[in-house]
Amino acid sequence: MSVTADAVRDALDGVTDPELDQPITDLDYIETLEVSDNGDVRLAFALPTAWCSPTFAWMMAADARDAASALDGVGEVRIELRDHMHAEEVTRGVNEGLSFETAFDTADGEVASTRETLDRKARLARQYDATEALDDAGLDDRQIARLRRGDVTFEDERATVDLDGLYVELDARPLERYLEKARAVDLVSDDDDRLFADRDEDALTPADVPRARRASRLAKTNMGGQGGVCASLHASRNPELAGD
Amino acid sequence: MLQHQGEDIFVVDGHLHAWDATKENIIHEGGEQFIKCFYDYHTGFTPEERQWTLEEFRTYSDEKFLSDVFGTGDVDVGIFQPTYLKEFYENGFNTIEDCGALADEYGDRLITNGRFDPREGEAGLEELERQAREYDIQGVKVYTAEWRGDSKGWRLDSEDSFEFLQKCADLGIENIHAHKGPTIRPLNRDAFDVADVDDAATSFPELNFVVEHVGLPRLDDFCWIGTQEPNVYGGLAVAAPMARGRPQKFREILGELLYWLGDDKVLFGSDYGIWEPDWVLDAVVNTEFTEEEKAEYGLEFDMETKKKVLGENAADLYDIDIEERKAALRDDEVSAEFDTGAQYEGAAD
Repeated sequence: MSVTADAVRDALDGVTDPELDQPITDLDYIETLEVSDNGDVRLAFALPTAWCSPTFAWMMAADARDAASALDGVGEVRIELRDHMHAEEVTRGVNEGLSFETAFDTADGEVASTRETLDRKARLARQYDATEALDDAGLDDRQIARLRRGDVTFEDERATVDLDGLYVELDARPLERYLEKARAVDLVSDDDDRLFADRDEDALTPADVPRARRASRLAKTNMGGQGGVCASLHASRNPELAGD
Repeated sequence: MLQHQGEDIFVVDGHLHAWDATKENIIHEGGEQFIKCFYDYHTGFTPEERQWTLEEFRTYSDEKFLSDVFGTGDVDVGIFQPTYLKEFYENGFNTIEDCGALADEYGDRLITNGRFDPREGEAGLEELERQAREYDIQGVKVYTAEWRGDSKGWRLDSEDSFEFLQKCADLGIENIHAHKGPTIRPLNRDAFDVADVDDAATSFPELNFVVEHVGLPRLDDFCWIGTQEPNVYGGLAVAAPMARGRPQKFREILGELLYWLGDDKVLFGSDYGIWEPDWVLDAVVNTEFTEEEKAEYGLEFDMETKKKVLGENAADLYDIDIEERKAALRDDEVSAEFDTGAQYEGAAD
């Protein structure tokens, strides 16, 4: 059975603008999405400006291609970047499976290290929502600092935190979102790994928690603030999207 | 002056331009891209009824500048930040000569900063001396992402840059405004990295480093540096217009700046002619933190803080005695032109 457009769109929810750490589906970047009867996918997207970083554009195009391709029943995937000064290089490079450096002979950045830097920022920013959720669920700074990966289990959109035999249940979303980035930067992989870390990715003591909380709030404000700049520019290109 | 809740607020606009992006002045496609990029920022944040056409935006007369800034704009003193871009514009985009002519004519109203580019070597040092001599500059704007030959940018913490910073210190040029902000086509994003401010600020404690556009999209890196370096300031240009269209985002940015840097370290700037100070100031001065935000940041954007951010902090950096200056502005040509002299009544003579 071939795949539906809704299934592809759901998969694209996992593709983020790396600078803003928001899904490209929420940011209204997708202009057209077509899925043919035999499962071929055609996706066209545009960014807030024609001069948005080509490295970021590349990451989104490649991530979208990979997310769609991973679905069962998907045939050929074609991605098109529109209205960008490097639209042609990105579109061609991603569809032909080239490396960024091959597609851009004048590339002055390199994708892997840029992605890593932004993943680290996103990890810190997401820690804010995760620790706030735990704080709201009643955990104190000492308990938050000591949490290890193995103390948290997920089931049916709920997370259960094991505090030495005392169980606290909360919405899974902030913790899952955090873990996604914590895994991406290799901060958390084994059950023994401490869940949270400071800005430099060192483990927290209870006394560090308030400062780490402010550092993560700042990382989130930066991404959100830049998101505001981008959204204004995006709305200026697409008047129907204006608003806060 | 700006009137707010029955009080006068003396406004120093720390970020003004007098530019020329007319087609005749453009010598590289980068020049056209640059002004169009600025224009997108203009339309992206400006209320529809206040938007200029691209042709109006390419350059503006002195009369329009004075009217927008000091007439409708409620600004008392303004600071020009030159941007040369001579690879793109025949006579430069916004030079010390353009700014200096206005600053000479309206000495109590306008201050021009100079600029340097360490890649110019010995000639650049001599040029900096000339600017200090002829314009008596107290500050410079530096544009680390500016193109020059094969180079697509430079770093503030390079050896060459330190030579120029030392020259600034020797000449008494104390305020170093570094453009560190959103990507501007066609300049490379990474040349706006803020990390180089850290070392420069540590090495030159006698200088003040004003990070323009508060480092967006690197506000986090910038604030982190700002907490560690007492001589690092944040210029609000580009963040300020968000106070109107995206007020919550603006409050978050402002809250972080006041929290990490302190209320003595944040400076207002409209970035005119990208945005007119009139509506930008109106949106900024009417910004109030919610109760939740006050608790979160442990501070308020109250009258005292507004006065600091909108004028007093910049006045400190540029040795402006606000009461004396009010007396001088009461009867000046600009007050006569826009009939604004009465607001300075009562200032000490």
